[in-house]
Amino acid sequence: MKFNKGSLEVSFQTTTIEKLTRIAEKYSYAAIVFLLATVSIFSFLVYLENGLGLSYNDARSHLDIGRRVVEGLKPGLAQLGSVWLPLPHLLMVPTIWNDFMWHTGLSGALQSMISFVGTGILIYHFLKELKVGLLGRIVGISVFVANLNVLYMQSTAMTELLLLATMTVAVYELLLWSKNEVTYHLVKSSFWIMLATLIRYDGWFLFGYVGLLIIILTIRKRGFKVTEGIFLAYCTLAGFGIVLWFVWNQLIFKDALYFVFGPFSAKAQQNQLEQAGVLATKGNLFYSIQIYFYALVYNSGAFTVFLGILGALMLWMDKTVKSSVKIVTTALFAPFIFNILALYLGHSVLFIQGLSGNTWFNARYGLMMMPSFAIFIGYLVHKSKLYSLVAIGLLLFVTYFSFTSQDAVTIDDATVGSSQKNVSEVSGWLSQNAKDKEGYILISAASHDAIIFSSGLPMGRYIHEGTGTYWESATTGPEHWARWIIMRTNDTNDLTFKAVSKTPGYKLYNKVESYPFADIYELKSEYLKQLNTKPNLPKQR
Amino acid sequence: MKNIILNFFFILFMAVILALCIRGIPGTPTEQDLNDSKWKDEGPFELSPDRGRFALMMSVVENNSFQFSLPIARFAAPDVAYTNSHYVSLFAPGVSFLIVPGYLIGKMFGVGQVGSFAIIALFGLLNALLIRAISIRLGAHKLAATVAGLVFLFATPAFTYAVTLYQHHISTFLILLSVYVLAKWKGIWPLAIVWFLTGLSIVIDNPNIIFMMPIALFALGRFFVVYHEEHKIKIQFKVFGILTLLTALIPLTFFLLYNQAANGDYQQLSGTLTRAKAIDAKGNPTVPDIGSNIDAASYFRREAENKSVGAFFLTRNLLNGFYIHSISPDRGLIYYTPIILLAAFSFPAVRKSNSLIHVILVGVIGSIILLYSMWSDPWGGWAFGSRYLIPAYAVAAIFLSFALTVFRKNQFFQLLFIVLLFYSVCVNTLGAITTSRIPPKVETLALEKLSGREEKFSYNRTFDYIMENRSKSFAFQTFAYKHMDAWQFFIFLVMSILSVTMGILIYFWFFIKGRIKHEI
Repeated sequence: MKFNKGSLEVSFQTTTIEKLTRIAEKYSYAAIVFLLATVSIFSFLVYLENGLGLSYNDARSHLDIGRRVVEGLKPGLAQLGSVWLPLPHLLMVPTIWNDFMWHTGLSGALQSMISFVGTGILIYHFLKELKVGLLGRIVGISVFVANLNVLYMQSTAMTELLLLATMTVAVYELLLWSKNEVTYHLVKSSFWIMLATLIRYDGWFLFGYVGLLIIILTIRKRGFKVTEGIFLAYCTLAGFGIVLWFVWNQLIFKDALYFVFGPFSAKAQQNQLEQAGVLATKGNLFYSIQIYFYALVYNSGAFTVFLGILGALMLWMDKTVKSSVKIVTTALFAPFIFNILALYLGHSVLFIQGLSGNTWFNARYGLMMMPSFAIFIGYLVHKSKLYSLVAIGLLLFVTYFSFTSQDAVTIDDATVGSSQKNVSEVSGWLSQNAKDKEGYILISAASHDAIIFSSGLPMGRYIHEGTGTYWESATTGPEHWARWIIMRTNDTNDLTFKAVSKTPGYKLYNKVESYPFADIYELKSEYLKQLNTKPNLPKQR
Repeated sequence: MKNIILNFFFILFMAVILALCIRGIPGTPTEQDLNDSKWKDEGPFELSPDRGRFALMMSVVENNSFQFSLPIARFAAPDVAYTNSHYVSLFAPGVSFLIVPGYLIGKMFGVGQVGSFAIIALFGLLNALLIRAISIRLGAHKLAATVAGLVFLFATPAFTYAVTLYQHHISTFLILLSVYVLAKWKGIWPLAIVWFLTGLSIVIDNPNIIFMMPIALFALGRFFVVYHEEHKIKIQFKVFGILTLLTALIPLTFFLLYNQAANGDYQQLSGTLTRAKAIDAKGNPTVPDIGSNIDAASYFRREAENKSVGAFFLTRNLLNGFYIHSISPDRGLIYYTPIILLAAFSFPAVRKSNSLIHVILVGVIGSIILLYSMWSDPWGGWAFGSRYLIPAYAVAAIFLSFALTVFRKNQFFQLLFIVLLFYSVCVNTLGAITTSRIPPKVETLALEKLSGREEKFSYNRTFDYIMENRSKSFAFQTFAYKHMDAWQFFIFLVMSILSVTMGILIYFWFFIKGRIKHEI
């Protein structure tokens, strides 16, 4: 370094620069993992501190399902239930026995956080496979990481991040297989798709879509026979989870299609909504596209979506990229196609404030394209040369405003939309009045899982639908089992009310509190002597 | 010599057209007659952004004060702030100070208002010249560059806002001049001008600093020079270049002093003050009379709470904001200035040129579009076209000059250009000589309930205006009306603009022999 005519001069040997570049490449991976983990933990702590981490009603339900497997009047794997796929709850089992892990949501958030870090790393590797330089890879990861909706969701016990991670790694392994035709990568891809099929039904669509891609990729090069073999091998592993789910429903609920047509299924929910006239996307393709597009834009950011689509087009029009790579990268749009199809067929519901009334519901579904956009934007930056400076500058610009305005539609979805339930009055009452007294609480978990979670009471205090003979007994003779009943009076969708209101024992309760969310009934004191306060029914299988 | 004469006529032509279109009425308003409808709704100060800036200028010149007297405050409402028991401007002060010379000179001739508007027209003219100069410097043919300057000034909403009192042309001037300085001169000392202009941009309009960022970053890059030698890379950092940054302190110091004097706190931006949308008979700020039971105290508390800078720009507004600016019938550029879209034809050639200045220009356009798409009021209130995008139109015009150069012999491009030129000039000339009071579509339903008639929300409103034989042009209202009606005046202007522009184009397309640089 020297000072010469008003200028500071620094010289570097080209060998030094090359060495530094190699070191940067070598340690960039470790640095990225460290940074991702730091951001993940920091975000979790922020949302734990401000209480938003448990705002989603679904998050509380997921945690309760996991807890019911290990604690309650009838613990066991059967508590995994139906409709919601089981893997996220199974993953909670090693940790959710701990009250802290349960009540902070960390048991569920942990898998989201690990998935967040994993997805970031996958974006890095994906772009490396596309021969994108270090700058493009870092930008790609940054697009994913610097998204408030991603940061929020990775701090919750929701299933989005886990699904994103499994789907992204599945497509990544498929990319490797398409490039070098090593069967091991196809096996790994199949494995991750199988896991995705056990997380959300989006994974089932990916299973079908990737199956189609495998046929397209193989049939021209290797003929029908080989294609048939590879396809069947793929289906055997990737589809195993789907088969297991049908078997599970048959074994536990005596109906292989219970998850489709059962009383708690999405179809049942959608039917109610359709009858109420609010399932507007069913049968309306344009509206389905519009609604999902808005969800996409609100979650990912309009500018991110724009650059992502531009990047995708650049990739698909790039003559230096193999056609097999282009075909595989279409799988990154699978979530987009799935969600629109689901809305169009009426299997899904999504409310966007301003388009579908004044509320939000399931707006978070628009997050599913984030890793895809991150990959495409990384590619765009790599290919744009000098203009990458514009893309990076403008992305930073928009990201700055997203943070200053705290614009996270997933938080709105959780706090003001139909996904939030302010149960604090009911759960607060229980915490104060039932905690130090003996006796069970009769409640429908299907309707009031949020109360169960928020009350802070052990799961074993609750008699709910999953407690088998305890539920049967309590709903026929509540005065013998339930010291308190939590239910929405006169709402026949509340299974507790539906059952208990017909029993003579119902008259033996006083309504001690009435809140907007639910009413609280307490057994009259003169009948407490006949109350069972211990789990003395025979052990259930 | 030939060039000098041509340049002179180019400037003269633009000056004459602008002079014919400047809005105004004879006289210099006093505080007492400012609130007459002949100056306000029926006159040149039809909207509050005009009034707000003129109000501050009047307050400074006539009352030697940054705080508004009651008549001036009423004149500026609803774009007036109330702080420390005083009414002050809600706008950055730069425009108000810049128009002082025009006001004073105009006042000497009995046309103070027109004089103040003329300053803005001057900046409009300078912008057209800068577009031409920058385009030529970056490689466009000089005739294509000339047409681009004319297109910007007369075929975009820049025309309307060159004849009234808004900040857009001054903001555009700062951007263009900075780019011109960087394109023309190398080295670090010209950067002193760039930093000064960057500092000044905040004084003109606070968001300008965002659009100046790409230019400022490029200028910062000039501090570093990279040399490639055998087996070595040398990086030179020009330490004394840091001294050039000091010039930014000049306008910034003025700005901070103004904030202290007017708003009571040097860090308090005018735009973040509590707005007094209405003033009651006693001179106290009050809530607008909109027929609801709004408590004034809670209204002002809510206003104060919402007034953080970050709250003005929401990323969630991006999609709707972009729709408003691009294809909406009330503000979309596809309706008001579709010709500017032809700039996109230049991108393949621009991309090949790999010039950093082009990259900066794309960054400027991108930042303008993104910022004002995130803005909570992308319509710009009642306005003509998308006024916030005027600086973007200017930069796009530079690219348009490239498109004209590259596709000089392409007949499809020529036809498209002529058609869109004709349309765009007609639409924008209408806007310039009539009114900017076009409501956003979202407000028209409520308006229709109040007025009991159909309320139009696009430039067809200006068409109705001119068909009623009305024009806000000073020239028309003082002498042209004696010789022609408003429609004829409009036709005269359109034909003049199109004749000159088409004349240049025809010469450029058909009378220049051989292949020019960049032409395909």
